[in-house]
Amino acid sequence: MIIEMNNIEKHFGDHEVLKDISFGVDSGEVVSIIGPSGSGKSTLLRCATFLETIDGGEILYMGKRAAHTNEHGEAVYVSPQELRKFRAYCGLVFQQFNLFPHYNILKNLTDAPIHVQHRSKEEAEETAMDLLRKMGIADRATAYPYQLSGGQQQRVAIARALAMKPEILFFDEPTSALDPELTGEVLKVIRQLAEEKTTMVVVTHEMPFAKAVSNRVLFMDGGVIVEQGDPHDVFDNPQEERTKQFLRVFER
Amino acid sequence: MSNMNRRQFLTATALFAAPTLLGLYGCGSSSSSSEPAAEGTFTFKHGFDLDYPPYSYRNDNGEIGGFDVEMAQAVCNYYGWQYEAVPFNWDAKDAELNAGSCDCIWSGFTLNGREDDYLWSMPYSDNTQMIMVNKNSGIATLADLAGKKVGVQTATSAYDMLQDEEGQAALAATFASLEVYDTYTIAFNDLKAGAIDAIAIDVTSGNYLMSGEADYTFLDEELGSEVYAIGFRKDDTELCNQVNAALEALAADGTVAAIAENYPEIAEFITLGK
Amino acid sequence: MTFSTMLSTMATGMLRTFGVFALTLIGSLPLGMIVALLRKSRFAVVRGFIRAYISIIRGTPLMLQLLVWYFGPFYLFGMSIGNWRFPALILGFVLNYAAYFAEIYRGGIESIPVGQYEAAEVLGYTKTQTFMRIILPQVIKRIMPSITNEVITLVKDTSLAFTLAYQEVFSLAKQISASQTSFTPFFIAGVFYFVANYVVEFIMFRIEKALDYYK
Repeated sequence: MIIEMNNIEKHFGDHEVLKDISFGVDSGEVVSIIGPSGSGKSTLLRCATFLETIDGGEILYMGKRAAHTNEHGEAVYVSPQELRKFRAYCGLVFQQFNLFPHYNILKNLTDAPIHVQHRSKEEAEETAMDLLRKMGIADRATAYPYQLSGGQQQRVAIARALAMKPEILFFDEPTSALDPELTGEVLKVIRQLAEEKTTMVVVTHEMPFAKAVSNRVLFMDGGVIVEQGDPHDVFDNPQEERTKQFLRVFER
Repeated sequence: MSNMNRRQFLTATALFAAPTLLGLYGCGSSSSSSEPAAEGTFTFKHGFDLDYPPYSYRNDNGEIGGFDVEMAQAVCNYYGWQYEAVPFNWDAKDAELNAGSCDCIWSGFTLNGREDDYLWSMPYSDNTQMIMVNKNSGIATLADLAGKKVGVQTATSAYDMLQDEEGQAALAATFASLEVYDTYTIAFNDLKAGAIDAIAIDVTSGNYLMSGEADYTFLDEELGSEVYAIGFRKDDTELCNQVNAALEALAADGTVAAIAENYPEIAEFITLGK
Repeated sequence: MTFSTMLSTMATGMLRTFGVFALTLIGSLPLGMIVALLRKSRFAVVRGFIRAYISIIRGTPLMLQLLVWYFGPFYLFGMSIGNWRFPALILGFVLNYAAYFAEIYRGGIESIPVGQYEAAEVLGYTKTQTFMRIILPQVIKRIMPSITNEVITLVKDTSLAFTLAYQEVFSLAKQISASQTSFTPFFIAGVFYFVANYVVEFIMFRIEKALDYYK
């Protein structure tokens, strides 16, 4: 298992966002998370990438514990220095790209590898150029983010996450901020990564994509995983009423 | 970061430097002698305003000079003291003196009305408060100022006199308005431009302004008269006595008269040695 | 007084004015950043202290602050203030401008989208790296117009040094004007301030231009 999340609890004030959620991802697996907005999908991703702290439960990466609930029922994390090692296991692609506007494309990809992972400039740039070629935007290496289309920016964001060589890559609705005609180029890149057996968790509203690319689909609603399994089973033969209801909206 | 106006400023300064009360005119009868305290080592810190020609000002060479400055230097020479010029902002003079950044206020400083606030040297110059007008203004007496605009520089004796109930406050009440300026230079310019009708000013400053200006004159009637002296901290009896002794000696040997010759506008008002 | 004497006398004042200007910037630009960061401190006492400091500095005239810094040590602690005039002047200016710069920095820092912090966090940047490498460069670009405003105000505010009788260009203009019964010194001072601000505007414009490579 790359990541294992057990009995995760998370609330914002009185509002319970995640209720006793457990899930794990194996190496090479592609997991899609679907569900209505407010179901806790994004929060789950943010907890997995340590942007949010959990209120209960356990997070393990590569079998090592990053957070757990102690005997007083409080969630405790490893030290900040330790946590930084755990962060290196995961990458996150945001809905809004969040590229660094003052760095050109190449520097967006190399700055963290050089200054966080202390890799050599040559190696970081070589890796970055390989990734940009793979994303089909090598010719824009010296451009600045504002000069790129949304689809190009999101591909850069994916490349930036991959440049850190994470064990697992999370996507938080990677095409939701894009014009419909630009979603295709981003989905194509993710599909390509899936074919290369990159371990990924994708929160998405693109049902055909989820069905085509995933090894497993999770349907979340109201802070719980309602149903999960093989995409063909979940999409074509959902067992739960809530899943059926949700999927009906996406049918013509 | 707006500029505070002068009145607020004066109030603020007064809070800083509430002058001590209960003093006597003159240095009093201290037992100390008028011998130099520690020859050559004492530094006499002369506090003055550089906006007050020709007593203390920037002279034609752009250097610090004036009658008071030369006199203070002469006193230092007499005793072999080090002379240190401490130009200050006139509004902050009391704070400067009390804080010890200077040893005296010696800058065309009017004694009258401030008798109890400082330890005073002997008076060395007469000064009279006058009204300056354009010769063709038709204003000939103080009574003619009724309904006129009169200018004055802030924090001056003329200003104080026009505020003082026992002074000329009643006269000031007849003015259309009393315009308060930062400097007499600006007031004089307004007089030339016709923005005001008259300026209340001490005779020496007035003479200085009018030199080379044929169109202006003083009214014959005086607003009041006063004397200049040197103000010391009230407990500085010894220094005050020493300066008094030096002034007498410098008057006797002709030094005062020689310095006064450099300032013809005020020479006739210097009373020391006369 | 000849015109050239007037100019050369006032030139000494211009140098002093420039000195006040430069020392104020050198002190207040970095100090303002420290103040802005302390304002977001974890400790409520520190935050409260910084808020009070900014509020007092912005709520009172610089002129009064200069008097307090200069005379305060004597009236509060009875200390001798013999050579304290210039240090007090610079202290007053630096603390005043640091408060204004701090507020500009704070506005700039708060205008950076939270996504920038999150992207940096996920990539493993430390807090210091995030601030120095990601946030600060963007803040500087955003606040440049406000900084320019403040720097131009500073050029003119240096004239408040006359409060402590520092012989800068405006004090000298007043003195020479009084002794020469002439407005020429004020005119010279006016030209000096205008030219100085023209240079400031030019330099700031070049900096803004240089930061224009991204949006």
